[in-house]
Amino acid sequence: MFNVRRLSIAAAASILLTQTATAQVSDDKLVVGLSADITTFEPAAISSRDNANIVRHIFDTLFSIEGDGSVVPDLATNLAISEDGLAYTYTIEAGRTCHDGEALTAEDVAYSFNRAKDPANAFTGNTPGFVFKSVGFVDAVAVDDVTVQINIEAKNTIAFGLLAEVYIHCKDSYAAMTLEQAATTPVGSGSYKLVSWTPGSEVVLEKVADPGTFQSIVYRIIPEASTRSAELMAGNVDIITNVAPDQIDAIDASGTAKVQSVQGTRRMYVGFNLSEPFAAMPGGDAIQNPDVRRAMQYAVDVPAICEQLLNFPCVRATGIVNPPNANQSLTPYPYDAAKAEELLDAAGWPRLADGKRFTIRFQAGKGRYLNDENVVLAIAQYLSDVGINIELDVMEWGSVYVPLIRERNVGPLFFLGSGGALWSPLYDMTDLAKVDAGTNYTHWNDPRWFDRWTDIAAAATPEDQRVIIDEMLKVFYDDGPWLHLYFQPDFYGVSNRLNWTARPDEKVYLFNAALN
Amino acid sequence: MWTFIVRRLLQSVIVILGVTLISFISLQMGGDPTFLFVSERASEEEIQMIREALGFDKPLYIQYLTYLMNVAQGDFGNSLSYRQPAMGIVLGALPATIELTLFSMFLAISLAIPFGVFAALYRGTAVDGGIMTLAMFGQSIPSFWMGIMMILFFGLYLSWFPISGHVPFLKPLFQGDFVTAFGNLPSSIYHLMMPAVAVGFYSLSRNARLVRSSMLEVLGQDYVRTARSKGISERAVVINHALRNAWLPVVTMIGLEFGFLLGGVVVIETVFSWPGIGRLVFNAINQRDISVVQASVIVLSVIFIALNLIVDLIYVRIDPRVKL
Repeated sequence: MFNVRRLSIAAAASILLTQTATAQVSDDKLVVGLSADITTFEPAAISSRDNANIVRHIFDTLFSIEGDGSVVPDLATNLAISEDGLAYTYTIEAGRTCHDGEALTAEDVAYSFNRAKDPANAFTGNTPGFVFKSVGFVDAVAVDDVTVQINIEAKNTIAFGLLAEVYIHCKDSYAAMTLEQAATTPVGSGSYKLVSWTPGSEVVLEKVADPGTFQSIVYRIIPEASTRSAELMAGNVDIITNVAPDQIDAIDASGTAKVQSVQGTRRMYVGFNLSEPFAAMPGGDAIQNPDVRRAMQYAVDVPAICEQLLNFPCVRATGIVNPPNANQSLTPYPYDAAKAEELLDAAGWPRLADGKRFTIRFQAGKGRYLNDENVVLAIAQYLSDVGINIELDVMEWGSVYVPLIRERNVGPLFFLGSGGALWSPLYDMTDLAKVDAGTNYTHWNDPRWFDRWTDIAAAATPEDQRVIIDEMLKVFYDDGPWLHLYFQPDFYGVSNRLNWTARPDEKVYLFNAALN
Repeated sequence: MWTFIVRRLLQSVIVILGVTLISFISLQMGGDPTFLFVSERASEEEIQMIREALGFDKPLYIQYLTYLMNVAQGDFGNSLSYRQPAMGIVLGALPATIELTLFSMFLAISLAIPFGVFAALYRGTAVDGGIMTLAMFGQSIPSFWMGIMMILFFGLYLSWFPISGHVPFLKPLFQGDFVTAFGNLPSSIYHLMMPAVAVGFYSLSRNARLVRSSMLEVLGQDYVRTARSKGISERAVVINHALRNAWLPVVTMIGLEFGFLLGGVVVIETVFSWPGIGRLVFNAINQRDISVVQASVIVLSVIFIALNLIVDLIYVRIDPRVKL
């Protein structure tokens, strides 16, 4: 009798649970499953892509870069660039307000820029750490209520696109907030405002202005890939990012969602650290020779890696620049192990009695890029096949590998990805703008590359500039410091109820998402 | 007894100092953490400025002593990632982990005892074999794999339970918002079911085996035979005489079990998107957010020490042979 009663209660409970568990997302709400936690809503401190993808809905920018690389107005209606290229004058759309009702003027735009640069705030996000450094930002000045002038140190042909990444907010609200408050209670200028943030769990945004189809957007933090996929297939989530390649078929077969596969703009490569300390290491001397580096290009079957490990038919890179802007005369290195061996022999590194040519350390982080650990293992195996004895050192990404990378103290071989863009080849090339640039992890110093930056700045026309770019990319292709791999594919799971197209640049913008 | 408690509390201070020192040294072993908090385009001067601002330019022992002095004044530092007080972030994530740990412990113990007792009483039968087979599976299956399988079967295929997520109960309760807390309770339990089973299945299995072997030992004792010969019902013999004595090693295990479960939730919190301290610490270690890691270590150590102290005191209560 006792057991029967228990069983009845359990049955009733399971019915109740069944009803609740199958609840679907309402029509005015869009739910996105993200893989990584976010840490801040401080516009000048944001550096991760997931964080930026949320915050972009809260803050507007002067201009906006579309998925195809075109640049369209956002807060600004017009831009005039001075003849010397040092002053960018924007006209702000009148009548715009921030989420607290304060009118958004040129003074607010100038404040947004200058606050991000203020050393007292010690911000290290994308705006001060990447944009301002890349353009040589000097200051921003409000000329009148609707006109703001951004001053930069030197003429820079991609400053326009980079400045479009800066989040704009109002002055009064932020001047009154502490940095701690600004990190948790953003007062934005965009289509959506923050309703709630439960760290590690979810972020809820509510629509306050156009553009935006859905009344609310809920970002759920779901770190485990299989859990994200299950939530998508169950209809509890509309979009998920970073679908694991091995789950693509299951999602496509679910009948509730499909996977959108896009060739991303992130450039994946094996770097050759050419610095003096690394040249003294085993194998470090060998890779100083461009012939050896070129031989290694032939040794790795990149299309096979893409097909087998990434579940995507990617095109091998020819260099540092994304395909639409790359040097079109270059063709990707084919996989040709025999040629690789021949070149290594000719370069003075024949196989020794033990079958090995030289030993070299190959360092990589794991858990950051798509199937990265297996990709690294495959590359190591390919290089071993042509007689290069690889000492593989795969380490934790965040806590161990990133500091080594930032110190430019990794290698002699290292695996890395670098975010790129479609709107300008120079954007992709600025990783190597200077020999001592923080992003020149290879310490490459070929004057045929680095001396040409002054020529680019001096080029009279875009056509002249393009010729120089192509010459630089040819040097990079022949004798560069990267073993070219692929542009990392991105996989997004999208519910069948939704009409949304993934972009190649990892930006998950939902303004145009709509129900089917 | 008070002398014992005071002595244990003093020992606890040493333990906490030890774990903070070990975690501090461990976090420094990966190199200069400054590079995690500067942009990749930062100049040498800027890197040095940030290093000084974060205090990483000072010798390690100075950094550690400064940290200890600040902790003594109740300042656990600011999270380098969140730019918020570290202890606030840790305490914000703690209730979710406590919910998960307590519930999985409750499941593990409440099921382990009857399973163990029945396996002992029906030793050598199909009941015993079935329970022990289940226990063997429980101790062999990795919790993350079990969690994923439960998600696919009970969450996705049967739609009986939510696949992931958390509805808070303890957090609003601690904040004095009783209406929200108890309003959330059914949904909170509902969301807890799968992660709690995934976390607690190993403990359930281990405790069931422990209870069984303990019961078998006790059931063969003279006083049990005497009780039976006095004509006491089998139910009373089992509950009042055998189980009461077989219970002692299980109680000892409970304190350790809580620590084990706290450690085990790291993976399960990730699988079920549970916003608890396990995931927080994992992310903090990856980001070298030293303040958050240290605050977490202190909080978890205090909980572990307090629970073991409580278990010791309970042990005295239930076993009159034990004196403090």
